[in-house]
Amino acid sequence: MTTRRELLALTASAVALAATANAARAEGKVKMGFIYPSPVGDVGWAHELDEGRKKIVEKFGDKVEAVTAENIPEGPDAARTMNQMIADGAKLLMIGSFGYMNDGLKLAKQYPDVAIINASGYKLDANFGNFQTRNYETSYIAGLAAGYVTTSNILGVVAAYPIPEVIGIINAFTLGAQKTNPEITVKIVWLNSWFDPNKSQEAARSLVAAKADVLFSLYQDTPEVVALAEELGVYSISTSSDMKKYAPKKYLMGMGIDWSPHFIDVAAQVLAGSFKGTSYWGGMKDGAVHAASLTPDLTPEQKKVTDDAIAAITAGTFHPLTGPVMDQDGTEKLAAGVAIADGDMASINWLVKGVETRIPQ
Amino acid sequence: MIDTLVFVIGGMLAAATSILFASLGETVSERAGVLNLSVEGMMATGAAAAFGIATLSGSHALGFIGGGLAAGLLSMVFAALVLVFYANQVAAGLAVGILGLGISAFIGKPFEGNTIEKIPKLDIPGLSDVVLVGPILFHHDVMVYLACAMIFIVAYVLKRTQLGRMIRAVGENPQAAASNGIPVRLVRCGAIGFGGFMAGIGGAYLSTAYTALWAEGLISGRGWIAVALVVFGSWLPFRVALGAYLFGGISLLELSLQSHGVKLPSQLLSASPYLVTILLLAFISRDQYRLRLSRPMALGQTYRNES
Repeated sequence: MTTRRELLALTASAVALAATANAARAEGKVKMGFIYPSPVGDVGWAHELDEGRKKIVEKFGDKVEAVTAENIPEGPDAARTMNQMIADGAKLLMIGSFGYMNDGLKLAKQYPDVAIINASGYKLDANFGNFQTRNYETSYIAGLAAGYVTTSNILGVVAAYPIPEVIGIINAFTLGAQKTNPEITVKIVWLNSWFDPNKSQEAARSLVAAKADVLFSLYQDTPEVVALAEELGVYSISTSSDMKKYAPKKYLMGMGIDWSPHFIDVAAQVLAGSFKGTSYWGGMKDGAVHAASLTPDLTPEQKKVTDDAIAAITAGTFHPLTGPVMDQDGTEKLAAGVAIADGDMASINWLVKGVETRIPQ
Repeated sequence: MIDTLVFVIGGMLAAATSILFASLGETVSERAGVLNLSVEGMMATGAAAAFGIATLSGSHALGFIGGGLAAGLLSMVFAALVLVFYANQVAAGLAVGILGLGISAFIGKPFEGNTIEKIPKLDIPGLSDVVLVGPILFHHDVMVYLACAMIFIVAYVLKRTQLGRMIRAVGENPQAAASNGIPVRLVRCGAIGFGGFMAGIGGAYLSTAYTALWAEGLISGRGWIAVALVVFGSWLPFRVALGAYLFGGISLLELSLQSHGVKLPSQLLSASPYLVTILLLAFISRDQYRLRLSRPMALGQTYRNES
């Protein structure tokens, strides 16, 4: 199946290349290339990255030209697209997928005057940076709200694969829910597939059949779980984008992402010729993540609790993963008052007590 | 517990519907001796076209017809390749399948990530309210019942009608069929078109009724499962249907076990629908002699009208 996708993408990238070639003819502007792993839809990962690109164009106007290539699979197609963009004169590349990292780094070494930033990666060089968001901060807020609105005390999570970022998000979510409702149980369905809307919709149904009345659509790029939750009359939470329009009545919260502060910052450095590769891990205080469309169903007292938590996280006085925290086996992972270190958070591989489902080994 | 039972057994009918349509279509095509591997692409084209048409017109019926016709049209490209230009069926099927995925991305681009109202579930007065049986059997949309009816129609037509005999003759021995005056290429073309139309309906069911969403890659391998079911179901409509329902049911059971916290590795659970379906169908079809009766002998062979 990979081969089919690759062949398909070949045509897609050929189109993308033609687009960049045309763009290169524009004169006197600093060129920037944006590469996305999926199509830019109304919501989702690529959509949010593209919103960040639009903000650059808005901010710098005639000084920049930002071209895009969407739905580029990781591997040779991505490398070729990057190469072409650089050949067309791009001075900044935003490569929007973890799997673009090694090809991007190779090019960064080859072209020291080109700045490259990589989504979700971890490698660094003088002209190669990476960026991600602290989504566990917003998932904690979603947990607080979920603890309040649930009546069955069962929260359901639809997730793709148990990578550290996903585990961190689920842990913060569970701790938030336990804060407002100690009786809570969290159930997860692992899809073992990055993209299958039919299956994630079925998984959401299975969780509701198991009495979950809040559904957490974790890194499902499309809105089927949110729309289904509305249909079944249960609350939903989504990652990446605000999906309230798909569930006007029962949308609990969106874990909003805003790449524009970082993108604008990087673009300004590129224009000034002062870019240096860094690791950006943007949280609430950077304006990179926010609680979007929080449900109006919370009472004023409950709303105050979520507002206070947002204020404390934004001020840097509170970390969602602060001890005492036990893992599923009851082993103490964080002592009372101790917040998890960034390095441990980035490689977290245990779920907190209260999550019923195990991490597949 | 009752909720979960209804979810797995009741949901099974809807979960299988898209695959069922596609695999019944492929059954007819293969019984006529044509192996069409482009089902995945045809389903995607049907899904995207149906979603677009239903969104713009507000009519699900038009969506289904449009989705079926779009995929049917695509299958005619395949038919031209294998019947007119004598291309290898496997290669032509793969190529048209890839073309179909590309077309689906193209048609679906303006609708990427959009949702649509689902087709309503039928409520049968009296029956729908019966405990357990009501929600399991009598609370589905019309396409679920139509797919079910198609099993009987396809089985009847293949086995008992003149048309069915012509289709089977063409798939068994096209030279002999031709010398008996059967228009081999016309029959094969019709079978391919029917297969395409059904794959399109199957895709349309996913995008406008089951998940009610268009996103590129929506079909995610269901077309390949449909093709595999035809072979494992030894080209017999009832066995193919059994496989489709079994696959649908186990896929839901797997998710249900996970959401009930059953401590089995989720990777194993995710693989279980494939394993169980293949094992069971292989077990049913283990009789080599009977298998030879239903296997189309000319399957995959290029037929040249040399006269």
